Amino acid sequence: MNRHRHLLDFNGWTADELLALFETTDVMAQVLQRTIKKVPALQGFTVSTLFFESSTRTRLSFERAARAQSADVVSFAAGGSSLAKGESIKDTLRTIDAMQADLYVVRHAAAGVPYQLARWTDAAIVNAGDGRRAHPTQALLDAYTFHTSFPGCDGFAGKKLAIVGDILHSRVARSNLELWTRLGATVALCGPATLLPRELEQPRLSLHHRLEPALEGAHAVMALRLQQERMTSGLLPSLAEYRARYQVTEAVMALAHPDALVMHPGPMNRDVEIAGSLADSPRSVIERQVANGVPVRMAVLYTLLVGKK
Amino acid sequence: MSRSVITNARLIGEQSLADLYLKDGLIEGINLGGEVSHTFDAAGKLVTPAFIDLHTHLREPGQEVKEDLASGLAAAAAGGYGTVVSMANTDPVIDDPGLVTDLLAKAERLGLARLRPAAALSRGLKGTQLTDFAALQAAGAVMLTDDGIPVADAHLMRRACEYAAELGLLIQTHSEEPSLRQGGVMNEGAVSQRLGLPGNPAQAEAVMIYRDCELALMTGARVHIAHVSSRRGLQLIEWFKAQGAPVTAEVTPHHLTLTDEALGTFDPLYKVAPPLRTAEDVAYLRAALARAVVDCIGTDHAPHTRAEKDLDLLQAPFGIANLEVAFPLLYTKLVLDGVLTLAGLLHYFQSGPAKVMGWPAPSLAPGTPADLTVLDLESARPVTPSAFKSKAKFSPWDGWELQGWPVATFVRGKHVGG
Repeated sequence: MNRHRHLLDFNGWTADELLALFETTDVMAQVLQRTIKKVPALQGFTVSTLFFESSTRTRLSFERAARAQSADVVSFAAGGSSLAKGESIKDTLRTIDAMQADLYVVRHAAAGVPYQLARWTDAAIVNAGDGRRAHPTQALLDAYTFHTSFPGCDGFAGKKLAIVGDILHSRVARSNLELWTRLGATVALCGPATLLPRELEQPRLSLHHRLEPALEGAHAVMALRLQQERMTSGLLPSLAEYRARYQVTEAVMALAHPDALVMHPGPMNRDVEIAGSLADSPRSVIERQVANGVPVRMAVLYTLLVGKK
Repeated sequence: MSRSVITNARLIGEQSLADLYLKDGLIEGINLGGEVSHTFDAAGKLVTPAFIDLHTHLREPGQEVKEDLASGLAAAAAGGYGTVVSMANTDPVIDDPGLVTDLLAKAERLGLARLRPAAALSRGLKGTQLTDFAALQAAGAVMLTDDGIPVADAHLMRRACEYAAELGLLIQTHSEEPSLRQGGVMNEGAVSQRLGLPGNPAQAEAVMIYRDCELALMTGARVHIAHVSSRRGLQLIEWFKAQGAPVTAEVTPHHLTLTDEALGTFDPLYKVAPPLRTAEDVAYLRAALARAVVDCIGTDHAPHTRAEKDLDLLQAPFGIANLEVAFPLLYTKLVLDGVLTLAGLLHYFQSGPAKVMGWPAPSLAPGTPADLTVLDLESARPVTPSAFKSKAKFSPWDGWELQGWPVATFVRGKHVGG
């Protein structure tokens, strides 16, 4: 039984509710193993993807998750749409509301837009990434991947996730921090002082400017994509210096738990934030993260649309 | 000759109610008796000099979709203001004496609150070439400011100070260092980092306040620091005042009553420049009012359309409209909560701003302008934006239960609002 109308972030979600999402994800993953990879669970529902910022991968993953459950999909992408003609997000929403969507999957460059839209519609909202703020389904698929891949995983209590890189601009880091600490894990965030928010404070969180203490004993290590424009905007001196100090390599992984998993939310800059050989090593679950995107999003859509009945 | 009376007026410092006689736009005296053409019964409410706002965006010419002289000056009158200084960031910018003359003539015809226009410090607010200060002053401009856009070029600000000092003109500054503020949409701190919104640090304000105070001290120009929002900024002003710098400071109703936590709803209604700061900053600003470090409360009334405020937080414009709630908001939150006395708060709406401008202190003395406001200090009622005279019919304080509402405003002896 689900009491949530939206998935904007994990605010208000309990650990039990989040673990229930993982159980539903297990079922969805089995559906995707069948010869006929489709169930009628969401027949009659309309899911609309509202992508004000382009992201083909995430949008396709959500659309696949909706169609695998027989929902109808209405797709809106900002490029070349009325948005370019100056239409406001509110008017765009009203237009698509007229098509009677039951759930919107929203991505926007500005933090908070899913909250604004939730005030203006009766439909459910799933946040597919808003600015630097949150990307909850990415965090869910990361945690689900860990949950199903870490040898003998018996839950998140006592586990440590280390996230390395451009924390400041990363909604993936913020959502993973929120999710893993809620599930009982501790999180270590690591990056140069210019890319690590100074005033992030909460229980079970530690901040590091050096890789070694961040990775020590970690059960999962996630490297974040480094954007090239961080150098030109004065946040980093050079790629070479970043690589020397913050690249996740096989050598630094020796400090982590012997079974530690290596993760990356993609898209990956090989040999910048992560050594290419490490990304291809048996420790790496990067491909499994991508594969888990669809069943996790199926579980989210199902839980919000049907689970509340 | 027109003569009228406000009967049963409570006056500050008086035990018994009085009848205040107004004649030809001036205050005539108390309890004089005799023939009058109009009577207004104050019914025991407080009658006090009308408020002065040194920081009002009226948006005319060019942005009448947000506000115009008629709606903005009516909003001022409804808020108890008899005089407002309009900002120059209109379209076209008020950088030409003819535009000042036009504004004054139109406001005169409207007969609402008095308009005293500010003129731009730089042509087109571009921050590269000074406007014709003397000609603008002769046309009626009362201060120079690029408000809305900080003057990034320190050398231009220095020359503006030197030139204005010689003319005795006040310079008002929007002090936020643009290269440090960058694209910040809210205060930088724990809240912005949690919300993932680009932050604008208090240091951006402090750095430019420091520069502007140094230039005031160097040139002798009177520099008025608009909308001081942070503890760091206000501490600098206090320090410079102790050195004898001719600087004055303004704080706004929103920086005294709201914090950066308000952005947690992701409503651009709370997006304002400088940004809403932390609870610690708010407490410091309030304490500074009690210590008289601040010189006046200015509204920075900055109306926008509903559609503009429905944009996302990165795109929505900065600004809060507040002329009609400023006094009751601060009466409720500062006087009733024991931070200031009533007289202390009134100072920041009356003699405080007058002193910043070098105008006579407003009073009820015979022969002074009959600009008055009648305040109901007893009844509590909620803020109802739909009833605003301003075109911006929405408010961060929507529904707040407040006391101290202006019920009538007189300008030149004429009942103009409330």
